[in-house]
Amino acid sequence: MNLLTVNGLSKKFGARAVLQNVSFSVRRGEVLGLIGPNGAGKTTLFECLAGVLPSDGGALISNKQVLAPAQRKNALFYMPDGVTPWAEQSVIWALEFFERLYSASVKAPDLLDALKLESLRHARIGSLSKGERKRLLLALGLLTPQPLLMLDEPFDGLDLRQMRDVMASLRSQAERGRTLMLSIHQLVDAARVCDRLILLSDGRVVGEGTIDELRAQANLSDGGPSEAGLAEAGLAKAGLEEIFLALT
Amino acid sequence: MLSLRLLLFSKEWRELTVSRAYWLLLLAVGPLVGHSFINAVNLYAEASGVGGGPGALPQGLTPLDGMLAPTFGAYDLAVTLLFPFVAIRLIAAEKESGAAKLGLQLPFGVGETVAAKLLALAAGWLIAWLPGLIAVAMWRAYGGHLYAPETLNLLLGHCLRMLLSAGVAIAAAALAESAASAAIVTLGFTVGTWALDFIAAGRGGWLATLAAYTPTAALRYFEQGLLRLSAVFVMSAMALGGLAIAAIWLHTGRKIGARLLRAAVLMGFIAVAVWLGSLSRASWDASENRRNSFSRADEAALRRIYEPMRITVNLAAEDPRLMDYERGILNKLRRILPRLEVDYAAQSRTGLFEGAEESYGEIWYELGGRKVMNRSTTEPIVVEQLYQLAGITAPANSDEPVFPGYPLAAHPKGASLIFYALWPLSVISAWGLARHRRR
Repeated sequence: MNLLTVNGLSKKFGARAVLQNVSFSVRRGEVLGLIGPNGAGKTTLFECLAGVLPSDGGALISNKQVLAPAQRKNALFYMPDGVTPWAEQSVIWALEFFERLYSASVKAPDLLDALKLESLRHARIGSLSKGERKRLLLALGLLTPQPLLMLDEPFDGLDLRQMRDVMASLRSQAERGRTLMLSIHQLVDAARVCDRLILLSDGRVVGEGTIDELRAQANLSDGGPSEAGLAEAGLAKAGLEEIFLALT
Repeated sequence: MLSLRLLLFSKEWRELTVSRAYWLLLLAVGPLVGHSFINAVNLYAEASGVGGGPGALPQGLTPLDGMLAPTFGAYDLAVTLLFPFVAIRLIAAEKESGAAKLGLQLPFGVGETVAAKLLALAAGWLIAWLPGLIAVAMWRAYGGHLYAPETLNLLLGHCLRMLLSAGVAIAAAALAESAASAAIVTLGFTVGTWALDFIAAGRGGWLATLAAYTPTAALRYFEQGLLRLSAVFVMSAMALGGLAIAAIWLHTGRKIGARLLRAAVLMGFIAVAVWLGSLSRASWDASENRRNSFSRADEAALRRIYEPMRITVNLAAEDPRLMDYERGILNKLRRILPRLEVDYAAQSRTGLFEGAEESYGEIWYELGGRKVMNRSTTEPIVVEQLYQLAGITAPANSDEPVFPGYPLAAHPKGASLIFYALWPLSVISAWGLARHRRR
């Protein structure tokens, strides 16, 4: 069942088209990965969906109704990458601010524990390392109540152990029914955590579905080669990287 | 929703109190106010005849001129040169750190967020007023006199001055790419208004009307004990307009064209509001010595002039006679004659090269087709002239009480210790405590 449908979204910066007729759907309770190389338009897509940036065309539809940008803050929350909000404040202040703001059922101390931020409780946000900041932003995102949480590059800057913890937290959110949309440029990470994937290249959606469905799309997009042809192309058991390369 | 708004305010308040710019403002404002206060009390004491010298005429000694205006004048300096940086930081830091992207998604409108920032700034500014209020309390403790209406009127003027400064700085921070650009825009605005003030001095027309509402000029009315509705209205409209422009521009989810259109429409509304506000002649003389008014009997008599009056002044902008005439006659006439038109006919700024002209120094009064010239800038002579021109019988000598004046030969005892030592120490301690409590 679809939570949201994105229909024909487009965005230009000057003469450069960054998003071109982007359409896809987001299913309730899934972990949806938005993958693509740097410059594919992932962040712009997130910012347009969140209403932080205006789009030039297209619509976001929920329950058969078009969501105006002003209404989107009730449907989704977008956590940007590379931001250092309220740099002079402490980690616990930021978490408690979000907890009170949204009367969150999850408590800030629990998140400190789950995301290994306990020792940084009173640290200044501006003093956090990239990985620590990333975990704080994730914790803030987890305190928001919107049905869809969009995280831009949630694994960027995390070491292996931290990444595993974060993935576990994200999966547990999805199991509780929350829909997650993750922008990821590391295809291996995307394959490990996402239920479905959207492949974005040069501002266009070039594929949408599970890995198996994408594998099939790669097959179809070539006009339907035979099993032998697939095998020859190396796609029969292809990983996400090969599929992505085949589709773009 | 109220608790959410309180939460938003508490966030903005915290953001203000982590700002180094704010603490530096607090640190600087104590010695600034203290210096002004100590100088003012010493000068007042000298004029009052301290040390055995002759005292000035008591009627000339008013606490408004002698202590309040100079002491609070320090706030004009602070609000012009320090406060804008505090206001700019509240917006620019969020834009630069990316917090603005989160802010747009929080359950508040952009307008609410800007309003919360303004409230936090106003609360912070009230704390910065503590040295001024301490100075007022010390003045009372020295035995000084205060007249509540003129004191409150002056405080209102400084409140509006802060509001205007906040409006300009917040709008600049919203429009500019960085804090540095916003600071340049804000200082550019300030310098521009100073230039306008200078250029428009001694000139009539729209330039003079506009210059009457520059922050410095508008504050001057309050420092003179005059509460002009137009000044209150125009300063408020400009400040709120700046805040509204900021709210429009910070909504980055809207297309630039849409934001430009909204901002242009809003600026149109502000311009109309400012123009309409400037038309208001309503004013109240809050000064104890009624310096902005003729005597009550003269006022009542002059109010009977209903025809349009035109005054042509042949005095240059920097001629002291024009300044006397403005303060002693024109400002008072403007308050009671709704159809008064003043024409500044001098061609030069200083009058040096007009001295040879025979007409230089002439002041022409025109009423109902009758025209009369007089060179005097002294109130009784001019008023008598106006009665003759209007065919009104001069009122009998009034028995209005004469302003007694309030000499005070006091030394600013303890002021140096409070403003130069205790205040900075308190601010530094509070700063340290605030940093410690954040951890």
